[in-house]
Amino acid sequence: MDKLIVSPSPHLHTKTSTKSLMRDVVIALLPAVVVSVLFYGWNELLVLGVSVASCVLLEFLITKYLLKGACTIGDWSAVITGILLALNLPATTPWWVVFIGAVVAIGVAKMTFGGLGQNLFNPAIAGRVFLLISFPTYMTDWTKPAGFVGNALADGYSGATPLGLVKEGGIDAVAGLDYSDMLFYNIGGSAGELSAIALLAGFAYLLARKVIRPYITCSIIATVAVFSGIFWAIDPATYTDPVFNILTGGLLLGSIFMATDYVTSPMSNWGGVVYGIGIGVITMLIRYFGAYPEGVSFAILIMNSVVPLINKVFHAKKYGR
Amino acid sequence: MTQTIIWTIAILVILGVVLAVVLYVVAEKFKVEEDPRIDDVEKVLPGANCGGCGQAGCRAFAQFCVESEDMDKCFCPVGGNDVMQKVAAVLGREVAAKEPMVAVVRCNGTCENRPKINEYGGYQSCRVKAALYSGDTGCSFGCLGCGDCVQACQFGAISMDEQTGLPVVDEEKCTACGACVKACPKNVIELRNKGRRNMRVYVSCVNKDKGAAARKACKAACIGCSKCAKVCPFEAITVENNLAYIDFTKCKLCKKCVAECPTGAIHAVNFPVVKPKADAPAPAKPVPVAKTEAPAVISTGGEAVVEKSVKKEE
Amino acid sequence: MLKTFSIGGIHPSDKKISKDCKIEVLPVPSKVYISVAQHLGAPATPIVKAGDKVLAGQVIAEPAGFISAYVHSSVSGTVKSVGPRKDLAGNNVIHIEIDVEGDDWAEGIDLSDDIVTEIPEDNKAILEKIKLNGVVGLGGATFPTHVKLCPPPGKKADCLILNGAECEPYLTSDNRIMLERSKEIVVGAAIMKQVLGGCPAVIGIEENKPEAIKAMSEAVAELKKTAKGYDGISVMPLKKKYPQGGEKQLIDAVMKRQVKSMGLPIDVGAVVQNVATSLAVYEAVQKNMPLVTNVLTVTGDCLPMEKQHNYKFRIGMPLSYIAEYAGGVPQEAAKIISGGPMMGKAIANMDATTVKGSSSLLYLTAEQTVRGVESACIRCGKCSEACPMGLEPFLLQKYARNGMMEELEENAIQDCIECGCCLYSCPANIPLLDIIRIAKGDVIKIIRTRK
Repeated sequence: MDKLIVSPSPHLHTKTSTKSLMRDVVIALLPAVVVSVLFYGWNELLVLGVSVASCVLLEFLITKYLLKGACTIGDWSAVITGILLALNLPATTPWWVVFIGAVVAIGVAKMTFGGLGQNLFNPAIAGRVFLLISFPTYMTDWTKPAGFVGNALADGYSGATPLGLVKEGGIDAVAGLDYSDMLFYNIGGSAGELSAIALLAGFAYLLARKVIRPYITCSIIATVAVFSGIFWAIDPATYTDPVFNILTGGLLLGSIFMATDYVTSPMSNWGGVVYGIGIGVITMLIRYFGAYPEGVSFAILIMNSVVPLINKVFHAKKYGR
Repeated sequence: MTQTIIWTIAILVILGVVLAVVLYVVAEKFKVEEDPRIDDVEKVLPGANCGGCGQAGCRAFAQFCVESEDMDKCFCPVGGNDVMQKVAAVLGREVAAKEPMVAVVRCNGTCENRPKINEYGGYQSCRVKAALYSGDTGCSFGCLGCGDCVQACQFGAISMDEQTGLPVVDEEKCTACGACVKACPKNVIELRNKGRRNMRVYVSCVNKDKGAAARKACKAACIGCSKCAKVCPFEAITVENNLAYIDFTKCKLCKKCVAECPTGAIHAVNFPVVKPKADAPAPAKPVPVAKTEAPAVISTGGEAVVEKSVKKEE
Repeated sequence: MLKTFSIGGIHPSDKKISKDCKIEVLPVPSKVYISVAQHLGAPATPIVKAGDKVLAGQVIAEPAGFISAYVHSSVSGTVKSVGPRKDLAGNNVIHIEIDVEGDDWAEGIDLSDDIVTEIPEDNKAILEKIKLNGVVGLGGATFPTHVKLCPPPGKKADCLILNGAECEPYLTSDNRIMLERSKEIVVGAAIMKQVLGGCPAVIGIEENKPEAIKAMSEAVAELKKTAKGYDGISVMPLKKKYPQGGEKQLIDAVMKRQVKSMGLPIDVGAVVQNVATSLAVYEAVQKNMPLVTNVLTVTGDCLPMEKQHNYKFRIGMPLSYIAEYAGGVPQEAAKIISGGPMMGKAIANMDATTVKGSSSLLYLTAEQTVRGVESACIRCGKCSEACPMGLEPFLLQKYARNGMMEELEENAIQDCIECGCCLYSCPANIPLLDIIRIAKGDVIKIIRTRK
C-alpha cells in the first residue's frame, strides 16, 4: 500500500452483505423448490424458470433503461421474488400468466416504489394476488401434472387444495386426509404448499444463519393455532383443526418466507409479534368466513400496509429508559 | 322514491347550513390578527424558502421585514436589491442598495498543487471528514472535496470539478444566500462582493501554517510572506497567522499583489485578457479554471481600474 | 451462566494474537515530542520554554481548568521548542520537543520494583498525588481520574468497577498488565475504593482471558491474606461480547443497573476505571511516579508472530519510531489504527507521538478494513439488533440526513456511545455511525444550549 486509508471507526466490518443474506434465502427455498419440481415435473420447472428469468430480466431492464441507475440484480432479491411467485402458482399456470405476475411483482410492486428497500408490499404476493383476481380459472386449477417421481396424491384429492375442498364441501371433504400427507407431499396445491417439511427445513436454515428472527413466523403460527383452536374446540364439526390449518395452504410458505421479508415487515421484535398476530387473525377470518378458501396472501398484503404504523408505535427497548 | 330524494336534499341542506355556521363561529373565534402587509411583502419575495436571509423561510422573512424598524438588517440575498426595493415600497420605507455578493472558494488545492498523502475511506461528507481528521492532503485547512457545499446549494450554483477536486461557483446562478458558507466545515467559502464587472482579486488559500509547512503541503498556498501587503497601495491586505486576506471593501483591483505573490495564491478573476507585452512577467498567475468567462467578453479594453466603487458598510 | 450486558452487542473477530507476548521496554529515542492535549478537557498550559533543562517525571505543563491534567516530561534533556505539531489526525496541537540527554529522574520517584501494599490513610493526600501525577483514564476517554474519584455532593459510590474486559479484538495490553502487574493493579483498586468511601470493588474480565482471570484472582486472594484494606475486592468473569468494556454496558453487566440518558455512572452508584488506570494510580500514589509510561500492543494479522509485541512506552515517542523498532510497517497494511479496531482512530500521520492513552499500533489489511459500496437499506434491523443502547440506527441516519433534530432527540441519538456495532453489522454498508456521530454532536449542542 502506498497510501494509508483513513476512515472513521469502526474499522472492521461484518462479512454479511445484502447479497449474502438474499442468497441464504434462496438456499433456504431450495428444498421446497426441489420437492415441487420432483412432484410436478416439467410444468413446475417451466413456471419456475419463466418466473425467475422474467423477474431478473425486468429488474435489469427497469434499472438500466427506465431509472437509468445502478443495476441491482446482483443482490439476488429479484431471484427470491421469482422463486416465491412461482411457488405460489399452480404448476399448470401458462407461461404468459407467470410473466404478467412477474411484471406486477417487479414492475409495479417493487420498482415503482423505488426498488429494494422502498417497496410497501411484498412483490411476490402482490403479483400473486393480482393474478388470483385477474385469472381465477388458471389460478385455481390444481390438476396435478406428471412429476418426475411417484404420483402419490391421496386418492380423490388431486385437482383441489385441502382448503378448497373444505370451502366447497365442508369439513367432511377432507376427512380422509391425514397429517403425514400434509407434512410431506401428498396434497394438492401450489408448489409451495406441497411439503411442510421442506419449508421447515428452510426455516431452520434461516434461523441458524441468523438471516431472520423467529418472532414473526412463530407469532403467525401461534395465532393461527390459537384462533382455529378456539373455533375447533367450540364446533369441531364445522371448523377445521389447528394442525390442519397450519400445514395446509400457504401458511408455512407465507409465514416463513414472505411475512418475514425485511422490507415489508416491522423492525422491532414486538412489532413483529403484533404484525404476526394480525396476519394470523386475518388469515383465519378469510379461511373460515371469507369467500376465498385461502387468505395468507391477503393477510400479508393487508398487514404490509400497516407496517409503517407498527414501526411508529413499537420501538426497540432502549438502555436506561 | 320522491320522498327519498326530498329527504336527501333536506338533510344535506341542513347539514350544510349547520356546518357553515360552525365554521364561521370557529373562524371568528380563533382568528389570528396578522398584519396584512406580511402577505403583501411575501408576494414580492422570490419564494425560494432558502433561508439565506437568516429567517426560516420567505414568510418568516416577510414578517421580520414588517416588524423590524431597520431595513438595513433585512436583506434577501436571492432577490437582491430589486426585490428589496419592492419590499421597501410595500412598507413605505427607504432602503439603501447593497452591493451584490457572490460565493468565492478560497482554495486552489487541486490534485496537482496539493497531492494526496492518504486515502479517505469514510462517508463522503466534509463534516464527517473534518470531524475525523485534517484531510487526505498535507493541508489541514483547505477544501476537503466531499461536496457538502454542492449539497447545500439550492440553486445548483456549485459543482465539483472532477479534475481539480474543488467546487466551482457558477456566478450567474449564485445568489449569495450563504448556504455553502455555513455548510463548509473548513470555512473555505466566503461571500465577497461581485466587484466591478465581476472582477475580483482574492487570496485563494486559507492555510494558517507557517510558510514552509504550507508550501510543503500545497504548491499554491499562501505562505504569509507579506509581500502583497507591502505592495498594496490601499492597505487592503492584512496578514494574520501566516495568511493574507484582501479586504474587498478596500481593494481597488489594481492587481499589484497578484504579480507579487510568489506562489500564485492571489487570484484575479474576470479581468480582461491583457495582450502580453514583451517585458511583462507573463501573467500566468492562475486564472482559476472554469470560472464563467462572460464578463471577459463584455469588457474590452484595459481601462484604468481605480475608480470609486460602492463601499459596503460593515 | 456468565454475566453480560442485556441489550444488543456483537461478536466481532476474537483475535488476540499478541496475548502471550511479554511486555518489553522500548528504548528512549533521541528526541520526544510531548503533546499538551493528552486528556479530555482543556489542553494543559506549557510551563517550560526552549532551552530549559528537564528531568524525567518533571511537570512540563499545568492543567488549564477543572477538567484538565498535568503533563510530565517522560525523559531527561533539554527543551528544544514549544509549538504546534501535527497529531495523529493531522491537526495542529502544541507539543513540547525535548532533546534526550541521559535518563535522570526527578527526585522523590521510587524507581524500584518493590510492591508497596500498605495504603496511605489520608484520602486527600491520595487524590492530590493522583492529580499531581497527571493520572487520566486509560480506557479510551482519558478523563482526569481525580475528578472521577470525587463524586459530586449527595452522590455515593456503591461499587468500583475495574474494567479488564478489553472487549476490542486484537488489543492485549490490558491482558498483559493483568498478568504481569496483577498485584499492583489490585493495590490501585484498593486505593481507589478507599478514596470512594470503602465500597466494594469488582474487577470485570471477559472469559477469553482465562490467564488474566486466574492471575488477578490469585493476586486478590494473596493481598487479602497479607495486608489490610483489601476486603471487598473480587474478580468477575464476564461473557465475551462487544462492547462489554463500554462504561454503561459494564455497569449493566456487573451491577444490573442502567445509567439514565445523559446521566453519569455515579448516578447509579458506579465508578468505572480501567485496569491500566488502576496501575497508574498505584504508581502515582505508592511510587510517586507520574503517568509518563503505558503499555501498547503492536499487532495485526499481517505481522508474523515474532513481530507481535507488547511494549512499555514513554509518552512523546513518535509512532514511526515504535513501528521501526518493532520491525517496520508491513507491506500489506492498508490502515494503521491507534486503539482497537472498533473504536480506535485511524492514523493519518505516523510522525505523531504517543500519548498517555495510546494502546496500540494495529495494522489492518485492505481486505479486512475497506468498506463495501453503500447500497439501499433493506430494513433488516440488524443495526438495531446490535445496538447496545437499544437505538435504531437506520432511523437515526435517515433523520440525520434530513436534519430532523427533534425526531433525533426523541429517538435518543444523544445516548449513542459510538461503539460502531451498527456500522459493523450493516449488510448494506450504510455509513450509519459516520452520520449519526455528527448529528449526535449537533443534538447534544442543542440540548446544552437549552439548559
